[in-house]
Amino acid sequence: MPKRKDVLALILIVLPWTLLITLWHQRAGNPLLPIPRDNRTGTSKAHQRSFRLQKPCLSENKHIPEVTRMKSIHSRSPAWSNALPTLHIITPTYSRPVQKAELTRLANTLLHVPNLHWLLVEDSAQKTPLVSRLLENSRLNYTHLNVETPPNLKVQRTKFRNARIPRGTMQRNLALRWLRANIGPRLGQSGVVYFADDDNTYSLELFEEMRWTHKASVWPVAFVGGLRYESPKINSQGKVSGWRTVFDPRRPFAIDMAGFAVNLQLILSKPQAYFKLKGVKGGYQESSLLQDLVTLSDLEPKADNCTKVLVWHTRTERPLLVNEGKKGFTDGRVEQTEMVRRRRSLSGCNNSPQTLFPIFLNEMSTLQHPISLQYRKNKPHPLFSHLLLSRYCI
Amino acid sequence: MRMRLKLKTVFVLYFMVSLFGLLYALMQLGQRCDCRDHEQSKDQQISQLKGELQKLQEHIKTSELSKKTDVPRIYVITPTYARLVQKAELTRLSHTFLHVPQLHWIVVEDAPQQTQLVSDFLSASGLTYTHLNKLTPKERKLQEGDPNWLKPRGAEQRNEGLRWLRWMGSTVHGKEAAALEEAVVYFADDDNTYSLQLFEEMRYTYRVSVWPVGLVGGMKFERPVVEDGKVVRFHTGWRPNRPFPIDMAGFAVSLRLVLTNKEALFDGDAQMGFLESSFLQHLVTMDDLEPKADLCTKVLVWHTRTEKPKMKREEALLKQGMGSDPDVEV
Repeated sequence: MPKRKDVLALILIVLPWTLLITLWHQRAGNPLLPIPRDNRTGTSKAHQRSFRLQKPCLSENKHIPEVTRMKSIHSRSPAWSNALPTLHIITPTYSRPVQKAELTRLANTLLHVPNLHWLLVEDSAQKTPLVSRLLENSRLNYTHLNVETPPNLKVQRTKFRNARIPRGTMQRNLALRWLRANIGPRLGQSGVVYFADDDNTYSLELFEEMRWTHKASVWPVAFVGGLRYESPKINSQGKVSGWRTVFDPRRPFAIDMAGFAVNLQLILSKPQAYFKLKGVKGGYQESSLLQDLVTLSDLEPKADNCTKVLVWHTRTERPLLVNEGKKGFTDGRVEQTEMVRRRRSLSGCNNSPQTLFPIFLNEMSTLQHPISLQYRKNKPHPLFSHLLLSRYCI
Repeated sequence: MRMRLKLKTVFVLYFMVSLFGLLYALMQLGQRCDCRDHEQSKDQQISQLKGELQKLQEHIKTSELSKKTDVPRIYVITPTYARLVQKAELTRLSHTFLHVPQLHWIVVEDAPQQTQLVSDFLSASGLTYTHLNKLTPKERKLQEGDPNWLKPRGAEQRNEGLRWLRWMGSTVHGKEAAALEEAVVYFADDDNTYSLQLFEEMRYTYRVSVWPVGLVGGMKFERPVVEDGKVVRFHTGWRPNRPFPIDMAGFAVSLRLVLTNKEALFDGDAQMGFLESSFLQHLVTMDDLEPKADLCTKVLVWHTRTEKPKMKREEALLKQGMGSDPDVEV
């Protein structure tokens, strides 16, 4: 009998303490006591925190200027105000010939946006020098991350973009994880998270629309879903009631990656919300994240009640490098891409001839490469040209 | 008995203390988000911040960048034509140009009249611009289904830009005329990608300067080959026997040269790939070319091309009479 009583006593003693300890553990690093609220210079605190955020990404030369001063023509750093919410732009990228061009023009756009933090995540095993150098010279506030998508999840580069294996998922998730690990859910850290692909086109107005997002905001996106633009349907109360799309409008969130932004605090407060990696149907990737964060009624329509197009889902053509040949015609020391240097070592590839054939016809008559001598001019056999093309890898 | 009593009270005390501690911690949970208290004043804050943001943007626009008047001006001639991606292309191009001081953008539309889209866009862009238009005659225009290498594009529009420059050069006097002596003319297509460094390279051009262009001619890049500071030949995989086997984005001409050689124009009937040569051969020989971009070893401009967006579903909707709102400008 005393044994039972002892056991009971022990349990009753231990129980509240275990609960307390788990609570402590969950909120590890955060003060249990609230930060004194009279300190409305939570703004100065925000500045400190964001400065700490920037320290890993800023080089020694840069600093957050109060006034934009010009040292030389291009030394002007983007503007920063202590009071504005920070825009965290997450961009996954991967090596291909147009990568440097895409990132250059995206950086040129982002440089105009104040209070911007660019999280660039490479799909690679290591950070490439091309991207590292580009980021250093860009004068942007950035964080450079990388994670390699395992080959079984990678999209076949030659196939038409298969929506079943969404590209960039692991990279976006890594960025979300970085945000959660490096910005604790402290008070006053206002910000918005946006997923920007490196080949889309963004107007400057868009960034100012998304800056004032309470939970999640949405707007139209051009050139997606085979339409001029897709947009949310807004009812008379100014709330999102559906989706103006042709492709599966029954999706929980029938919206493109470029069509929504989420408040940073919401992301931080739901640490289990990530993009689903496997088993995601085409077009459902955005929903896989958003359904863990918001409901339809929480969405805030922007861009003049979703009547203006401020972002275009442009796609850049793959450049035809037919004249490079197996050994590579151009000087490998000149930095163009990492990709082409690596590809040169591959002996075969499976380019589809259809896209290359019409251009190839034109090139055929004037090709200076010795292999052209094997063929009679102006009469390329389709089969032969396919064989030839298969040796010219991109 | 005493011991027991003591133990009991100790136990009770212990339990009460831990219970209170738990309750205290739970209260902290509830208090974590104190933003609810600030919800009402937040809207006021937002309008305050929006005002600050506007001030900041004004500051950016009128910053010392535009006041820098002591550098040579760059006149950029961009031919453009109406298609779905036109606004997107011009938008991101303008973002690049906004960083370049003393840039004057000459946009020439391939249209019978200046379109609302481009006019509105240019006036909101914040750039110094000139809006022109010149329609390409039907015989020279690409038809639907023609591959884009069949006929040279943009020749008439570029010539119109040159005509405007020559007109401006003849009507301007004094300080402005002096400024034109050092100015440079560059032909920028609306779908290419330009780095900011490129404009600083081309700014100081005496006659014609050249540099490598990426992703063109079926190669990673095309470039002039430089020996002893002079261009000796061109490294290109496609018809290197042209007088100037260089892409439109790979050279810049001093305005002085353009104004003194009034007959130098682009030949719209030229063979494919000879458009640049048809213009340059009136102006300069290979010896006189000035190599830029670290003696033509760096790629600062890329000949990117944008895919045509797929409109299958839009077309299907149009057939049903349910196409997207044409009032929404894309």
